[in-house]
Amino acid sequence: MQACVTTASLQGVEAFLVEVQADVASGLPSFGIVGLPDAALQESRDRVRSAVRSAGFEFPNCRVLVNLAPALLRKHGTGFDLPIALAVLAATAQLPPEIAAGCIAVGELGLDGSVRPVHGLLAYAIAAARNGLELLGPPEAADAAEAAGGTPCRTLKDLRELKNGGDRTASRLRGRRRPSVPVPDLSEVNGQQAARRAMEIAAAGGHNLLMVGPPGSGKTMLARRMPGILPPLSDAERLETALVYSVSGLDERPVLDGTRPFRAPHHSCSVAGLTGGGAPPRPGEMSLAHNGVLFLDEMPQFAPSALQALRGPLEEGAVTLVRAEGRLTFPARFTLVAAMNPCPCGFAGDRERACTCTETAVARYQARIGGPLMDRMDLVVRVDRPDPRAIVAAEAGETSAAVRERVIAARRHAESTRRALSSQLTGPRLLEACRLTDPSLRLLERAARTHHLSGRGIARVLRTARTIADLEQAFGVSEEHLLEAMSYRVEEHPR
Amino acid sequence: MSPPDRFVIRRDDSGYPRQLLRLDHPPEALYCIGDPSLLTAGLAVIGSRRQTPYGRECTAVLAGWAASRGVPIISGAAVGCDQSAHRAAIEAGGRTVAVLGCGADLDYPPSARPLLQTMRRDHLVVSELPWGAPPARWTFPARNRIIAGLAHALLVVEASLPSGTFNTADHALQTGTEVLAVPGSILSPCSQGTNRLIRDGAGVVADVEDLATALERCGLLDPGASSGALAQHTAPDSALAAALASCPMTAEALAQALGRSVHEVARELALLEIDGLIRRTADGQYCYAPRPCGG
Repeated sequence: MQACVTTASLQGVEAFLVEVQADVASGLPSFGIVGLPDAALQESRDRVRSAVRSAGFEFPNCRVLVNLAPALLRKHGTGFDLPIALAVLAATAQLPPEIAAGCIAVGELGLDGSVRPVHGLLAYAIAAARNGLELLGPPEAADAAEAAGGTPCRTLKDLRELKNGGDRTASRLRGRRRPSVPVPDLSEVNGQQAARRAMEIAAAGGHNLLMVGPPGSGKTMLARRMPGILPPLSDAERLETALVYSVSGLDERPVLDGTRPFRAPHHSCSVAGLTGGGAPPRPGEMSLAHNGVLFLDEMPQFAPSALQALRGPLEEGAVTLVRAEGRLTFPARFTLVAAMNPCPCGFAGDRERACTCTETAVARYQARIGGPLMDRMDLVVRVDRPDPRAIVAAEAGETSAAVRERVIAARRHAESTRRALSSQLTGPRLLEACRLTDPSLRLLERAARTHHLSGRGIARVLRTARTIADLEQAFGVSEEHLLEAMSYRVEEHPR
Repeated sequence: MSPPDRFVIRRDDSGYPRQLLRLDHPPEALYCIGDPSLLTAGLAVIGSRRQTPYGRECTAVLAGWAASRGVPIISGAAVGCDQSAHRAAIEAGGRTVAVLGCGADLDYPPSARPLLQTMRRDHLVVSELPWGAPPARWTFPARNRIIAGLAHALLVVEASLPSGTFNTADHALQTGTEVLAVPGSILSPCSQGTNRLIRDGAGVVADVEDLATALERCGLLDPGASSGALAQHTAPDSALAAALASCPMTAEALAQALGRSVHEVARELALLEIDGLIRRTADGQYCYAPRPCGG
């Protein structure tokens, strides 16, 4: 006898439909899986056999063959346990053939017959919704189905439940809500007016920000507060980002609550760690920071290859991995916040400690980041160790909420006037959006000559100036805006 | 392009610089590449290898001015002040001499290669060590005595305590060469050495005029040659530039000192920078650095 159960397999952040076909025929007892299963899937045979027996069913004592169609695509993971068990049970007439009709069945089985969650339930829920199917899975699937916009869902805690006719109602049981992790607030930072202003501009325009300062100046502390001043995630963004977290097996609930992700990979992070990779390919840090902040502390310490891997995604908002099995795209639209010491010892320009580096060492250190990546940093700001008096006085700074309000207003202004963040403006659109007056144009020309600005350098200044104007709800970019933007520029020809 | 002229001058040759004989141990021979006519009198400009923006600016202004008046600038081609001095002289259209702590045909430090190549062609590179001699710890103090011996006046731009420049200054005092020093902020560690030299009796060079007078005194400039065309130091009319003139600061520190908002200060600084009154340094601070002609 034969039976068929629909399930899905993950490819990147998407799930594609897979049909599990079971054929039970007379012959020597055997249990084989074909259709390019990976190692974890091969082990599924032993789990399914035990789980079926534990749940009080009979495992057929004859030749069992399971095919995963389309057979050409490689299948990964343990989510096939449940559909394989259902197909075998249906093929041996222990369950009605329509037991999983109209469903995407997914779940790992314990030897005791329990149904356990797998990575990427959200992706399965979205695939189900897209194909007009129900999701059948572990209790955790109910959360995913709801997050995906109310996909119909049936849950199963244990294979035994099917013995008693099965659970046909969508479970309203929700996973326990974790108290949301509080995002650190800007009011905890003393002083740092210049860095705060630069962060506000970066948040308002979606610019990448580089903070340069000695150790202990508070660069990391400031960067951690960046998500708190960005506007909350929109519904679409929430789902995109949660999907990445779901397929990575990380907790997606904070993201679903609207908290922007903040990822701070260590500088020993490999290229694959940043871009994603492995078999099966998993999202990297850049994708986990999708719609949020990617913070690279000690940027020059990162491997040059890892830094260069940032360039494409910064431009395209996505990582494309090309592997023998085909190409995969992970979303990766993030705000890059980087921090570095001004020199190898860290104390160049410090008020109290003298720098002990030679000029060549400093130049070599700063060159590690490389021009093409520096070109993508719109704002550079110097951060210094705060005055001890300011720390003792502990004068509370402005709160994240107050800054965020201005950021939201600026983004709304940008949206209403040109439907794009200034960091995404290029070429003629950028010039048009800036609406430069004659005096500002002359100022820009003069500045370009004194500072030896390249075309890209001018574009950077204009983009930043446009955001500063947005923060003031100004229609055009004035000289004042241009001047401030220039104070955050990258030095192109260090003297 | 013809290869630069190499020549060796022994102590008993007629072209041997007389002023070197004032030293306790005058070099037996000078291995030179370049223009022999430069082995006459000159102004030595030295300072610490780790120069501040202030030191860089002072070197550029003072060495450039002296070179433009026809005084050869003598220095050691080291990183920092030495190289700034050579460059300032070349940019001002003047002459300059490098005394090396290795063979005159070697490029040391490596970062000075383009500079040394230019100097061998159009100016002069000197060493008491034979061709191809590698640099060593002891060759540099020995080189310093030649700088002090060759020069008629020694200008110390910046020096911390302790510093190798003192070694050169000691040799200068021994040979009776006039020692001049540029005063600096009492808070700056890089000016402690020069301020100490002034306390110990070195001539103060607080502006170009001081330098002119000193150069006239030791016969490097004809009296009156310096009259007119002196760069006039006018007090900057911006409060920000005035604050930066006393010590380099970040935008934030400046805003704090003046009690103004950072973004206002940043805007004003950017304008002053375009106007060529101030400059942002590699470590993110702003310093006062008036350009002669707006960049």
